[in-house]
Amino acid sequence: MVTVDITCDLMDEDETGYVWTFLHEARDPSLIEPGALVVAGDEDAPAIAEVIDIVEKPAGKIVHLRILPGVIEDYEALITRAVTSAS
Amino acid sequence: MGQVERQELRPILRAESVPADGIVVVRGGPTSLARVLSHAQRTHDAFVLDGQPIWGISVFCALDDLGGASLDSLLRRFASYRVVHLPRVSDLREAGFELLPTFGRPHYTVTLSGPDRAEALLAALGKAEPNPYHERRPGRR
Repeated sequence: MVTVDITCDLMDEDETGYVWTFLHEARDPSLIEPGALVVAGDEDAPAIAEVIDIVEKPAGKIVHLRILPGVIEDYEALITRAVTSAS
Repeated sequence: MGQVERQELRPILRAESVPADGIVVVRGGPTSLARVLSHAQRTHDAFVLDGQPIWGISVFCALDDLGGASLDSLLRRFASYRVVHLPRVSDLREAGFELLPTFGRPHYTVTLSGPDRAEALLAALGKAEPNPYHERRPGRR
């Protein structure tokens, strides 16, 4: 089970070319700041994403996300390998 | 309570002809009625078209045989989806849905006249199929 930091549709891109969603979709908005790595999407399709920016738009605060390549298990494997190698 | 302002989509639409009926549409899955409604609501909360409320969900069309707008490239790009819906443009059109060429090619917004059309859109998207790029990858041990 994956805990998603910010819910979004991974296909929702806007004029910036980044995925967008509302800041109020974040589980904990304090986690969402430019440069942060977060889990975005939903439980069925989570992805690692970099927060690019938070912009004020007429409808509310919009978060832009750069979805990193691959699937979340790739990152899990990377961390496991790195931690195991270091010990 | 005042009306919430939303971003106008018209200036953002790409000037290009509508995709041919045989073009494959990529939509990440699994999709459910709740998901279609949720995504369509987010679009509704952020955008208008010609000043009017709009409901819609994002899709990508496999417009080219090679490159970033090819089916293979899109499936790889959306590897986070273990399954995808791959209807043809004609499947959506015949069910009464339009594809707006929004933002960067090959992104489109499938528009609904309202949330009551979500179930019909879900049916038009068809059965979800495995995404071949959501699988064990090199370097994952």
